[in-house]
Parts: sequence; structure tokens; C-alpha cells
Amino acid sequence: MVKRPFVLLSSAALLVLVACGGGGASPAPTIGPGASTATTPHASTAATQAASPKASTAASPVESAGTSPAESAGASASPAAAVCNATAGTPSAGASFDPSSISGSAELGHWDSSPAENDALNCALKGFALTYPNVTVTNTDVAGVYNDQMVTRFGAHTPPDVFYVNGDTALDWETQTFLLPLDDYIAKSGFDMSTFFPGYQDTFKGTDGKTYGIAKDGNTIAMAYNKDLVQTPPTTLDELVATATALKGTGHLVAPMCLNPGLDRGLAFLYAQGGSLLSADNKTEQIDTAASKAAVQWYMDLFKNGLGVVAPTGSWCGEQLGKGNVAIVFEGGWLKGFMDSTYPAVNWSFAEMPQGSIGKPMTISYTAAYGIGADSPNPDQGWTVLQYLTGVDGMKLWTEGGIAVPSRSDVPAPQGFDVITKGAQYARPGSGFMPGYNDVQKAFSDAFTAEVTNGTFSADPVVTATAAAITAALSK
Amino acid sequence: MEPTTQATTPAASGPPSVESKPAGRIGARQEAVAGYSFIAVPMIMFFVLSIATLIYALYISVWNWNIRTGPLNVVGFDNYAKILNNALFQTAVKNTVYYAAIWVPLTMAVGLFLAMIVNQKIRGRSFFRAAFYFPAIASSAAITTLWIFIVAPDGLFNEVRGALGLNGIFSLFGFAANQDWMGNLHTSMNSIIILNTWTTSGTFMLFYLASLQAISTDVYEAAAIDGAGAWQTFRYITFPLLKPGHFFVATVGVIGALQLFDQVYIAGGPAGAPVNSLMTVVLYLYHSLFSDLNPGYAAAVGIVLFVIIFSATLIQRRLFGGEPAW
Repeated sequence: MVKRPFVLLSSAALLVLVACGGGGASPAPTIGPGASTATTPHASTAATQAASPKASTAASPVESAGTSPAESAGASASPAAAVCNATAGTPSAGASFDPSSISGSAELGHWDSSPAENDALNCALKGFALTYPNVTVTNTDVAGVYNDQMVTRFGAHTPPDVFYVNGDTALDWETQTFLLPLDDYIAKSGFDMSTFFPGYQDTFKGTDGKTYGIAKDGNTIAMAYNKDLVQTPPTTLDELVATATALKGTGHLVAPMCLNPGLDRGLAFLYAQGGSLLSADNKTEQIDTAASKAAVQWYMDLFKNGLGVVAPTGSWCGEQLGKGNVAIVFEGGWLKGFMDSTYPAVNWSFAEMPQGSIGKPMTISYTAAYGIGADSPNPDQGWTVLQYLTGVDGMKLWTEGGIAVPSRSDVPAPQGFDVITKGAQYARPGSGFMPGYNDVQKAFSDAFTAEVTNGTFSADPVVTATAAAITAALSK
Repeated sequence: MEPTTQATTPAASGPPSVESKPAGRIGARQEAVAGYSFIAVPMIMFFVLSIATLIYALYISVWNWNIRTGPLNVVGFDNYAKILNNALFQTAVKNTVYYAAIWVPLTMAVGLFLAMIVNQKIRGRSFFRAAFYFPAIASSAAITTLWIFIVAPDGLFNEVRGALGLNGIFSLFGFAANQDWMGNLHTSMNSIIILNTWTTSGTFMLFYLASLQAISTDVYEAAAIDGAGAWQTFRYITFPLLKPGHFFVATVGVIGALQLFDQVYIAGGPAGAPVNSLMTVVLYLYHSLFSDLNPGYAAAVGIVLFVIIFSATLIQRRLFGGEPAW
């Protein structure tokens, strides 16, 4: 009599577990992480990201792992979607490597993006096909969380021949030997690297000094403000605080500014006030110094005094500006495509980041590059594609619609991005300048978010946690 | 025994070997062969996919392993030592145990409640069974995404409770009218618990249903004759008789709870945002592999989790697994 329940139970359990694939907290079929449901709306940018580790509640567009902005919250309203000006360019020839003599196929891997970005990429690839008809490119959209998918492919020794390398993960990928050094190809092809903005290109220099990627575009953080609410954009940080204080409580504003509780924006303010994460020789942490601590507390005080709020989960500061909940945000060029398509009625504009106590313009930049894998099956063909897409012709086709901002000074910036491009001249890298930076960012934003959530608003725990993380990352 | 030569004599009726050997033995061997060949394929898959991968993970965990180039150098039990001292791992264990401690009893209670309901002869019983069970078979990714929107600050839940005028009660507990349930480090895990309770209660309901239906109606009739009310019947008859069901459900529940991953990954990303409140042990394993790029360490995390779950199951069996006392 005791056995019967067990038999029934076991059969039922077996049926259920078999039906549901078993395991897991909810024995529902386990959807692998590859099926990324983009819970955070993203702006259109294949190019750059506001490297906000998911620890920060503000979902900035395309975080460091390069998750797929599947729902194109920012399909750029640019004409690039309709018009592609691809023409056959002049194939370049180097001293001992002539790309026009290469034939075969190459697989290009990129992360999932908005339709507008896919169109721009296809346009650039069309230009490539016209210039180098002997190389066939297979355009692979690496669906899911880009970093995770690529790591899996690296482990299986089957990476694409040329692929996006996010500025955040470049150093990690290089230390793990995933990437092929490109110096040989650059020298043999005579590829001109002199016009690339160092702020972008330096991100892809490995610890051994070799080049592991060529920046394909870049973005800098700028101030974006609602022109109806802010008549004169502030030019210094003091003016910013004054403007925000005056805006507090007016109209429908939830708060004057929307801010990310992390280094993905905070770093710009840190630099602007003479603070720093690392010493000049990049050997020791500097977050625990008077200047840095003061800068962190200044940023914290914005939250404390109600001048800035974090974007709600599932949203980001760009959306908050569009919805009219805030008047000032700090975002990159990706904001333009988003605002043009989703909130075209809002009267807004970019302005340079307000200057801090160092008395000169400062901002941070984000970038992504094309790289070739150490195990890529067709490196020559991959290089042919790479040098075209990062050359003047290819980059022009990629950026002229306003999807991204060029990483070379000899490619003209698309209309409406002057502030962003101007920032590239003096921007410091916002990521990829030290190994293990993601851990440092996480330590900062965890501590910062906790302070804001708990209402204690103290910079000390943030500085302590970040200092420990920097020291740990440097010692690895 | 008959000499074997007689066994090979062709027979007019039946296979030759049957004539001379006792029928039970031949049947048993043929049955055994048939049985083994039927289970051969699933058993091979089980050994390869479960046992062999476990052993391989054990092997990987003692190495410093590069994802692309493979093993680099042996580090012995360094990875395990690092894990146990790691603050993030300790947070992950704390969150996971908290989740299991709350979610398992809660879902068992809800599952039992649902099972009691659908066990009665009410109209639409089949419909209700299907409806209660449905969340368990729907995609966990889709459900979690919907849930994130429902509990968003301007989401359905906040709007409905505002419309119903319940905000006063919530503010007594310190919850604002536009509370960000999933984004606040104090409420995010509880939001996941509620989500998973709803999702998995259907499965537990099925388990309990099987148990309930195994209780013979004689017992209930006897109880009715003795004048037991509904609550007394439940408390003194049904609940104790469900002991095998409780044990099974609790064990399966704990094993599943300690492996929480899907929902926290979708809601909080690989870092268990906000502020590590959604970091669980499996998510920490995932984070170690894909973010820290350290397969040896990640394999060690997996082994540690295996030990934890195995011990928990053994303890449960020791404490609750005895035969019910009639």
C-alpha cells in the first residue's frame, strides 16, 4: 500500500520531467542564455556602447557584453536605410600584400543590432564587393549575448574571419590569445594608421604593444539637453549644478537629470575634476586620493540633492529624456538615432560636456574595432575585408547615415554629430585601458547603487570598494 | 539436468533449447537481454552526458585552463580555496539558500492547495488542471521578460494597486507608489521568488495530485463517519498521508531551487544586478566562465554546487525519507 504512491509519483514525475526537460528552478524548458530577450531597450549602435555593466540599474544602450539590441529602439531615421552610395573604390595595394589579388571567402561576425545599422553594414559590404569582387563575404549576425557567443566560438577554434571587438573586452580577449596581431598585415599592406584618433585606437593595443584591432567607429559622451527647458546649456560643472537646481520641481520633470550610477558616465566627471582611477604609470590605484574622492562625492551629491535620478529598470536615460521626465542626460551619438525615430517631437540638442576644475574640455570615449581571430580559417581574406571597412571608403559608407561616428579624422562626420566628433579630439578611453576593468566598474556601481538605494549617499564605501577592485585587477 | 545433446535436437514444437532446460531460466535471460538493449541507449547518453561530464569537470577544475588553448598548468585545489574565500561566491550562496528556503515551502503550499482544489469533482476540473500547469511548460525566458514589465515602476502591478487604492497598505511597508520591484536590491529576489512560485506551482500540483489520488477513499469515509470536518480531515488525515509526496516534492524543489539560473540571468544579467542581489551559484559559474574567462574556476564552482546539492538531498532523505507510520 505504501509502494503505490511512489509508483504513481515516480511515473508522474518522469512524465513531467521528460516533458519539461527537467532541472532548473522552474522545470520549464530551460532556455539557454543564447536566446537573449533584450529586456533593456537599446539605441541603435552597432558601433559603440555605453559600457554599463548590468549591475547598474540604468540600462544604457548596448552594455559591455554587447547584448543584442534586438528591439531597435533607435532605428535611425537616416536615409542610409534607403540609399546606399556604394561604388567600386580603388583597391589598395601594399608593398608585399595586395588585397586585390586575394580571392576566396570570409565570414564577418557582428552583434545583433537595429535594422538601420544592419542596412549601413550591408551598404559598406556592398562597396566592398564592388571593390574586391574576388572575395565573398558571409555576413553572420551573432545572435544572443555577443561576448558569450564569441567566447564559445573561440573555444571551439571556429571564430569568424573578421569580427567586431568591443572596446571593453578587447584587452581580455587579447590576454586570452583569442585575437591575431595585425601589425604584419598593416606593414605589408601599407595601411595608414596615422589618421585614427588615438583615444579610440589605443584601446586595441595589447599588453605586448601589438595592435589587435582597428577601430571601426567611436563615440564620445556628450551632454544632451531639452532646449525648451534649458535655454542656455551650462559650460561648467558649477553652472550645471545651478541649472539643475533651478529646474528642480518644474513642470513634469521627475528630476532635472538622468544619471547612471556607474563609471560608464561617472568616469568623465571624475577626470574633469582631476580625479583618476590609475596612476600615470597604470601601476597603482588612484581612486583613493583626495581629488578622486571629492569627485565621487560630487557625483553622489547630485543624487543626494535630487538633481539626478537613475533610469528605471527596463529603461535608460535617453528614453527618460524623450519621455520628458528629465531635462539633461549624458549619452553618446547613439542618442540621435534613437530620438529621431522614437521621440522626434522633442526639441533637444547635444552640447559639450561641462568643464570641471581642470579647466579644459574632457570626456570619455567608447569604441569597437574589427579584429581577426587567432584561429580564423581565412585571415588573408579577413584582412582584405577589414582594411576596406576601416579604410576611408568603407568607413564613409558605414557612418554617413549617422549610425556611428568615424574613428578616423579623414572621414567626415555625419550631420548633427559635431559635438561628438569634437569630443574625440580630447576624449580619454572610457573602457579597455586596464585589464579586468569590468570588475572595477561592477565594484563601483554596486557600491554606488547601494548608497543611493539605501539613502546614505556616502562616497567612502564606493571609493574603498573600487580601490580594492582596481588593486585586485592589476595584480592578476 | 539433461545432457546438452538432447537440447540441440530439433523439436517439432517450440525452440529446441526450451525442451531440456527449465522454462524460467531461459525466459529470464532473454528478458534480461531485451531489457538491457532497451535501456542501452538512454544509459549511454546518461553516462556520457551526466557522469562523464561530471568527471571531466572535476578534471578541468584542477587546472588553470585557457578557453582557446586548453590546459595550461595544474593548480590543484587552488580554485576551490579561492572559491570558498570569494566574497561574490559567498553572496551567491547566501542568495541561493535564501531563495530555496523561501521558495520551496511557498511553492509546496501553493501546489498542495491547487492539488486539493482540482482533486475535487468540480466542473471544469480538466480546464483548471491545464490552466494551473500551463506556466510550467511555457518558455521561462518569455515569462520572465513579461514579468519584468509587469513589475516595472510604471508597470501593470503598480498601476493596478494604485487603481485599487492599495498604495496606503504598501507604503506602510516602505514601498513607494512607483516602486521599482526588480531594480531595487531589496525586492528583486523576492520578485523572482513570487514569479517562480507561480510558474512551478503547477508542477508541484501534479506531484501532489498523484499522491492525493493514491490515498484510498476508505480513509476519508472513516473520517467522515467519525465526524471529522474538512479542515480536520485535511490536517489529521490528508496531510500526514502525503508524507511521501512531501518528501519527493521537497527534494525535487530544493534541487531545482539551488540551481536557479534562467530567471536571474534574464532579469539581472550575468552580473546579478542590482548590486549582486540576483547572483546565484549557477549564475556565478556562468559569470566565471564567460565574464572572467576562467573555465577551471567555473568547473570548480560546478563541483562545489554538486556537493552542496548532494549533501542537501542526503540530509533531507535522512530526516524525512522514512516510511510513513501507519
